[in-house]
Amino acid sequence: MNNAFPEILQCSDMTVLERQKAPLQRQQEQLQQQEKQQQSYFSELRGVFSNQTSHVQGLQGGLLSGDSLLCDMVMTPQAKPDPGLETARSELGNIDIAGMGFGQCGYVNGPSFDMNYAIYRTSSCPPAVVAAAVATEGVEAKGKESVESEKLGSAIGRESFKKRKADKLHCSKVVAEDDSKRIKACAEERESKITGPNTNKSSSSNNNNKKQTSTETSKENSKFSKVQKPDYIHVRARRGQATDRHSLAERVRREKISERMKYLQDLVPGCNKITGKAGMLDEITSYVQSLQQQVELLSMKLAAVNPKLDFNIDNLFAKQLFASCTTTFPTVGMLSEMANPPYLQFNPVQQVVSCREVEMGMGMGMEINSPDMALQRTINAPLSIPDASFLDSSCLAQFQSSAAWDVELQNLYNVGFDQEGSTTPFPSQPFTGTKS
Amino acid sequence: MSPMNNPQDLNPSSLKSRFTTRFLRALTKINGQKPISSSSPREMFQRYRRIKVAADKSMAWSVRSRRTWSRAMLWKLRSRYSCRQASSSRRSSVRTSTIIKSRQAKTSHEKENKNTTTGQDEVGFVVQADKLRKLVPGGEAMDLCNLLGETAHYIKCLTTQVQVMRKIAHFYSL
Repeated sequence: MNNAFPEILQCSDMTVLERQKAPLQRQQEQLQQQEKQQQSYFSELRGVFSNQTSHVQGLQGGLLSGDSLLCDMVMTPQAKPDPGLETARSELGNIDIAGMGFGQCGYVNGPSFDMNYAIYRTSSCPPAVVAAAVATEGVEAKGKESVESEKLGSAIGRESFKKRKADKLHCSKVVAEDDSKRIKACAEERESKITGPNTNKSSSSNNNNKKQTSTETSKENSKFSKVQKPDYIHVRARRGQATDRHSLAERVRREKISERMKYLQDLVPGCNKITGKAGMLDEITSYVQSLQQQVELLSMKLAAVNPKLDFNIDNLFAKQLFASCTTTFPTVGMLSEMANPPYLQFNPVQQVVSCREVEMGMGMGMEINSPDMALQRTINAPLSIPDASFLDSSCLAQFQSSAAWDVELQNLYNVGFDQEGSTTPFPSQPFTGTKS
Repeated sequence: MSPMNNPQDLNPSSLKSRFTTRFLRALTKINGQKPISSSSPREMFQRYRRIKVAADKSMAWSVRSRRTWSRAMLWKLRSRYSCRQASSSRRSSVRTSTIIKSRQAKTSHEKENKNTTTGQDEVGFVVQADKLRKLVPGGEAMDLCNLLGETAHYIKCLTTQVQVMRKIAHFYSL
């Protein structure tokens, strides 16, 4: 078996390189295509090692249950000496799949070293633990505590992500890839694409893995873009960062917060120069305080204002809509004020409706009318006071010239007094107004 | 004031128009309740308070319950109103006070829960975030992420409120 090993490694190198190139093409492809490729990869695996299909299945089954084992493995001391490799080699027969899995995933530099570690790890483990061993192998191979924990965390995360996936093949394949840095690179790339639906992060290159002996694959992996899917928020774990669920969720939160801070920065004037969240928060707080103080000041001002005029919405709209008719506002206001008491006696609804209809039929071309009336319709329903204002504004809306306003409003006022409850004069008034 | 500088006002369903109608209605009511002729400081102050409450209430009503801050503000106003009524009647004061206390306890409990989560993640901003929480109604019981979103909407509504009130004040001060 020992002699067979280098041969396998050599042929695995070729496949590894091929597979390393494949992810680049897969970048643009959809997830399903990736899954197909992975499935074909697995069939390849099975084809090469046909006598070990049962092991593969065992591996798959074991991988899914390997979460707890992985966690346990994290606790075990990471550094292990090489001498154990000799003994491990003798037990290749039991761990062919795992070893082949390693080989398939590829070692570009010093494959034997990693392979030996993989063998060492997996030799004493049942198939159920093989996955965990495989994962820890990769972790140890890195030689860095933080990276290792990340990898384990990522492996754990991937395990948990896999659980959501019905396809066990992906799980096993991904975990099998976890043994080396490059494998991890491949795995991350495929992993995050697989787990795209389950996680949400945007990707960016990370310096972490550059500290490791990097290959082209690692650099290629850093260029991956966000996977697009309509129903999920996709997260791509950054290279070298933890991919366990908690850290990913935290990262999502942080990104949400930074996004909202940017939005607030646009909202609050004068925030462009300030950088840093603390300063921004201070600025936002002071802005909210200033706005609230402005509201208080204005309410005090409104309390102090002695309203000769009635607080009718028609006056406000009139001022906004007809800037030219500023001179008539006081008269309008007074008229409305005076007209209010008598109008209150009416049954306002009928007249309102009739006037509205008339105005609609008038076709004055005042597109402002409809929203104006729609607005007032809401006011008119509960209270009777606004009805007078409605009538005023309805007439106001029709009369363009300021001179006509006084006349028509006077007419309306008189009519209102004279003909209570009658609807006919109202239509006539607007008509006469337009004619004049 | 330019004539058509606010096309939003013409949209009857916009926030601005909703707030404007409600606020004007409230103002009419306030002015109708008491004669305006008296200008003693005390009466002025009372009117100021009422107008301020009306402004806040109209703003919160325009937003309905879509936002946490509007719900919190409406609840606060309602509880204050009921408390005031209770104090005048002196019958259900104990009941309302207990209700208010229970609600406060609930919000503080929520705040504690939320604070533990926020404290873990956002270490540096807790002090500033607390200041913001006190300003935004209902902010005590929100995590930082939601607090920022609510603050953004609250700022937007406050600016609308200020705009409309300024226009009204300007209009009626002429």
